Amino acid sequence: MSDSISDNILNILAKHSKLERDKVTLDTHLGNVGVDSLVLVEIIFDLEERFDISIPDPDFTGNQKGQFETAADVVKIVKELIEQQTKSS
Amino acid sequence: MKRVVVTGMGCISSLGRNCTDFANKLFEGKSGIGPITLFDTQGFKVKVAAEVKNYNEQDHFSEKELTKIDRYSQFAVLASRDAVIDAGLDFSEPLAERTAVVHGTGAGGQSTQETGYRRVYAENAKRLHPFTIPKLIPSASSSWISIDHGITGPAFATTSACSSAGHAIGMSLLMLRSGMVDVAITGGSDALITLGTIKAWESLRVMAKDTCRPFSLHRSGMVIGEGAGTLILETLEHAQARGAKIYAELAGIGMSSDAHDILQPLVDGAARAIRLALDDAGQSPESVEYINAHGTGTIQNDHTETQAIHAVFGEHAHKLAVSSTKSMHGHTLGAAAALEAIATISAINEQTVPPTMNYLEPDPQCDLDYVINKSRPMPLSVALSNSFAFGGLNTVLVFKRYNKD
Repeated sequence: MSDSISDNILNILAKHSKLERDKVTLDTHLGNVGVDSLVLVEIIFDLEERFDISIPDPDFTGNQKGQFETAADVVKIVKELIEQQTKSS
Repeated sequence: MKRVVVTGMGCISSLGRNCTDFANKLFEGKSGIGPITLFDTQGFKVKVAAEVKNYNEQDHFSEKELTKIDRYSQFAVLASRDAVIDAGLDFSEPLAERTAVVHGTGAGGQSTQETGYRRVYAENAKRLHPFTIPKLIPSASSSWISIDHGITGPAFATTSACSSAGHAIGMSLLMLRSGMVDVAITGGSDALITLGTIKAWESLRVMAKDTCRPFSLHRSGMVIGEGAGTLILETLEHAQARGAKIYAELAGIGMSSDAHDILQPLVDGAARAIRLALDDAGQSPESVEYINAHGTGTIQNDHTETQAIHAVFGEHAHKLAVSSTKSMHGHTLGAAAALEAIATISAINEQTVPPTMNYLEPDPQCDLDYVINKSRPMPLSVALSNSFAFGGLNTVLVFKRYNKD
């Protein structure tokens, strides 16, 4: 498990949220830092480009329910997808 | 104020080549949505669209014409030819100069653009076909229509994404009311089922996983459609003087902007457009019986639109029939307001409201009467057609049953 993956992910989240990078942690709730459904689409684009993965559509109910409530959720899913990617290649 | 009426209609879409087939399929709840055939969807998440079926451009245009006319313009020309024949109009002068052509489009000659870019960027082509530019510009459709019928009056295109045809119809209405012209050939066209466009839409993540389910719980987004619709609008006096058949009255238009966001819709902006339309038409909210909704099937629009209808209509909202025909012909973007105007006018003429198809179960946030899954015969005198575009550009058209006074 590489911390540099988490680091990269938190960099991307910080870029799109209202927070300074050192304030973004795994516990950060995306909905509380200005990440709405459209910002989420941009975050997903950056993550997919950065890690060459394909993230399934999150649940856009506008309540931030579903896969991406916290930064930790994002890290978990991205790492799973990277692992799937490595296994299949 | 001069009254304006609809004296001709023409259309081409996934539901057929003419307005009779289009309307019949709507009332029967038939869908034009199916697997994409216009390009290879290998690797795409989006696999469905509402394509025009069995379309062969050589059937309608000569080889020479085809070097100069993009698919979106072809649709505009065909819809307009049918509308002009339907209206029984002959455009010798002085009428030719007193006729406007205002057609809308979201993107113009998109397939020409994509072919051009692929050749230049991916294939290092040394040259492009000389007529690439005149094919791709968004004013081409209006030019072709004016050429086709010898129209020498004002001709131009309007663009406002999903409201493009609404603004085209609106501009025509204003020119007719002002006395500048007596007739307008107006509507919209788009042919955006192309590899690049669908890839771009897919990236926005608003596309349906299965089909278009406006207002339903478990709806998952839009389905793109292609096609064109044209209305012939005339001042009432001009129509009566020549004994024209009159389909309906275009009683009013509301045009508003959200002033909010390039993507997110705003309840106030949509409600404002509805209110302005009713004011312009001199109609009370309680007089409205049917709304042909924007109803794209996205989580956002359908909720926002429902709230806007509540805001304007209050108690009366629950008495309205509201349906989205995008559930059958898809979201035709620049053609949407025109095709949906034809649907609304057909509803008035048939005294039947077309259904919202593919509805699964109620979403608590969308609580109106959406005429689900089956059309409904009912008395209809006043109906609205909504279009709420990206960037907050809204148009609402008011159609009234025409009774010979």
